[in-house]
Amino acid sequence: MKIALFIPCLVNQMMPEVAIATLELLEKLGHQVILPAGQTCCGQPMTNSGCFDAARSTTLKLLNAFKGVECDAIVCPAASCLVAAKENFHEFDSSPEAQAVINKLYELTEFLHDIAPIPAFTKPFAHKVSLQLSCHGIRMLSLATPSEQMGPRFNKVEAVLANIAGIDIVYPDRRDECCGFGGTFAVDEGAVSAKMGKDKAQAHAATGAEYVVGFDPSCLLHLDGMIRRQQLPIEIRHIAQVLNAAL
Amino acid sequence: MAYNHNHGAQGSQVHAHKADIFCRDETRVDWHSKALWMLREKRDRAAGSIPEWEQLRQLGSEIKLHTLTHLAQYLETFEQNCIANGIQVHWAKDGAEHNSIVHDILSRHKVKKLVKSKSMLTEECHLNPYLEQRGIEVIDTDLGERIIQLAKMPPSHIVVPAIHMKKEEVGDLFHEKIGTKAGGSDPLYLTRAARAHLREQFLSADAAMTGVNMAIADKGAVVVCTNEGNADMGANLPKLQLHSMGIDKVVPDIDSAAVLLRTLARNATGQPVTTYSAFYRGPQPEGEMHIIIVDNGRTEMLKDKILAESLKCIRCGGCLNTCPVYRRSGGYSYNYTIPGPIGIAVGAKIDDTNSIAWACTLCGSCTYICPTKVPLDKIIFHHRRLKAEAGKLPYGKNSYMPLVGKFMASETMLNCSLSVARTALRILPGSLLKPFSGAWGKYRELPVAPNSSFEAWFKKHRSL
Amino acid sequence: MSSKLEILNALKLSALTNHPMPSIDVTPRVENLVGQFETNLNTVAGTLHKEGGLVALQAKVDEHIAQGLQVISLVEGVTANREMPPTAHELKNIDYAVIPGDIGVAENGAIWVNNKNLGHRVTPFICENLILALPANKIVPTLHQAAKEITLASGEFGVFIAGPSKTADIEQALVVGAHGACSLNVYLL
Repeated sequence: MKIALFIPCLVNQMMPEVAIATLELLEKLGHQVILPAGQTCCGQPMTNSGCFDAARSTTLKLLNAFKGVECDAIVCPAASCLVAAKENFHEFDSSPEAQAVINKLYELTEFLHDIAPIPAFTKPFAHKVSLQLSCHGIRMLSLATPSEQMGPRFNKVEAVLANIAGIDIVYPDRRDECCGFGGTFAVDEGAVSAKMGKDKAQAHAATGAEYVVGFDPSCLLHLDGMIRRQQLPIEIRHIAQVLNAAL
Repeated sequence: MAYNHNHGAQGSQVHAHKADIFCRDETRVDWHSKALWMLREKRDRAAGSIPEWEQLRQLGSEIKLHTLTHLAQYLETFEQNCIANGIQVHWAKDGAEHNSIVHDILSRHKVKKLVKSKSMLTEECHLNPYLEQRGIEVIDTDLGERIIQLAKMPPSHIVVPAIHMKKEEVGDLFHEKIGTKAGGSDPLYLTRAARAHLREQFLSADAAMTGVNMAIADKGAVVVCTNEGNADMGANLPKLQLHSMGIDKVVPDIDSAAVLLRTLARNATGQPVTTYSAFYRGPQPEGEMHIIIVDNGRTEMLKDKILAESLKCIRCGGCLNTCPVYRRSGGYSYNYTIPGPIGIAVGAKIDDTNSIAWACTLCGSCTYICPTKVPLDKIIFHHRRLKAEAGKLPYGKNSYMPLVGKFMASETMLNCSLSVARTALRILPGSLLKPFSGAWGKYRELPVAPNSSFEAWFKKHRSL
Repeated sequence: MSSKLEILNALKLSALTNHPMPSIDVTPRVENLVGQFETNLNTVAGTLHKEGGLVALQAKVDEHIAQGLQVISLVEGVTANREMPPTAHELKNIDYAVIPGDIGVAENGAIWVNNKNLGHRVTPFICENLILALPANKIVPTLHQAAKEITLASGEFGVFIAGPSKTADIEQALVVGAHGACSLNVYLL
């Protein structure tokens, strides 16, 4: 398939290794990958602060980067940004061209589970990993059944990783409780955000896993800051990095 | 610790500030968070034990939505049926009118002592101080409510109002106020002492008042749920009983009430049902029964399609128990009678600190917990937009958000290979940025800035 | 304008669009209703006596009376040592009240009690201990079925009682016996 990468500003600037892993793994799977120019922030920091006016121009700039781009899918390795982009594109542009972009948007895990499953892994990843089930991915993108919901359960994140040889998947206590990042929440509500992050980092470390693996770079960045401050014996990895290492 | 945000005139009252103070005693935060998480776990077990849980949530949501969209009709039917059952019905447009109606009824009957079971509505209307100022003794009879009444504190949770207090603190309070032995802190001992103390109050009360869990339109009856039996001990001893209800409490029939009763206690405490679910369809022989139907801002909420859905709430408290922010900031950090997600939903509008709408990570757990599917995260998100439109943003957002927006939409971004933080340092005024690096770096290590952006890497490694 | 009219007028400005009443059709679990009922009654801290019926109940009442306890019975065929007093307040020293239950609910252990069988409405709450007598064939699967079967005529009072009164308001520690009865025994008839 021809895939356009949507690399949110945070990943582009702060976690380029996540974007590189995403690019490499998609290429290894035989896809043609392009990076449309002119990408920027999805507008989430502004809309989550209620500032829709301030979000308009950045959202539309991001949307324009994808309008008319010839591709089968637009793939993003950041669930929260993807959700915000979808909602904000819809909020600020009701044209068929905008809808065409929205219809092609996929979060990476979602894409690898629903659209183009990985036929086989070539290398083992013999590590214990504690999965970080970030809120927007599970409660807004349905990547896994939230713990609050009863009835039949699914977990796309685990399903995508499960076939890697040697991987040992575990979960922290309070498995899908928020890590406390919350965008500007991390600075507006510093004390509560830090306490949530500390609890989450400790819960991951308590599993004895070597890596916290997640699909949302912003949560991972927050947890990384907490893990290093607490000097916990665990490191963060984005799911793309794990998948890329196993291909 | 000096909180290094500019919180403006309401500085000491903003949620972040109060939460920061709560967080200073980490052992207590852990204790508080764990106690509430236990309720969440009990709720999960209770909800998971009935296969139709999600169906009941859907039914609960639709029943409430149906009633809310036919509210005038159901309220009038309810009133007519109440009158036919010998119940007197009163209408109050706000808290002041509610309080004055209650006082009129009580003074007509020369009531000196009123026993009251838990009612978030009367908390919302500040009824107790109103009556006390007029010489009527008000006794809260729910154990948790009695504890905080004796401690002269408001509730910190809508179902377990004294959840913030340790048993030793309750023991000291009871020792001072109702004469339990010094140092006695066993919950069984303290509860038995409260039982004896409150029995005297029940037996000597002149009138009783309760809240209403559901008002059944086609029967003209109110349903009152308690575990302790305090509402029914109260209402069935004196000959005068009063029940206050918001206009949102009405449901069409008993079948509808049954749906809500099936989820209410399971979601609140993990019990299959409350111990007592009492249906009052008329006064006792030779008694008088009054129902006060209160608006107090609810019709205003109905004018906004998104905010309106908060009126589907049945006050189970499940959203408080699951909320990671509430559990770590406590019930007194919200600047509103009702804390937690539902407190933000119904209280943000009148929150003069304009901060409680931001006491949320938008994680969405509350929305999935809610037994009537109130879209709490969407409502809170919407409140932020309304606040922004009214120019009432907290934490300096009014000044920096437009700059962030402009910066993110600018061309600078494209050609820059520096980290956002370093770029931002050049573009944003230092005074604006300082709080950020401060609030982040105070608790966490700063991110390790990579050598180049992905965009630059891509140009170097993949461009033709 | 009256407040009622003001409220009704304000409701006309609601932004919500009409939503139909859903049909309430939940599949009940009908197998082993007595077993389900017993499990859930235990969960809410009540005790079920399946065998012996009225004879066992009368024997228990006699035992209590022999210990000098004050027992009042509203169940036909069960005699006790106290008459229903003229005023509700006089019930304050009742040790055991024996009351007929109309409907049992398997899913939660609750029993519907109607004021016709209470003397005073406060009887099941003010007694120190409560005994309910429930016909075994009156157990329904869920509250949906119970809602169809309970009687609540104009002017009446009725209550679902699920176990003895309880609270967990002090540090989430469950204490049985708050303001209502401190124990609940249910005799199946």
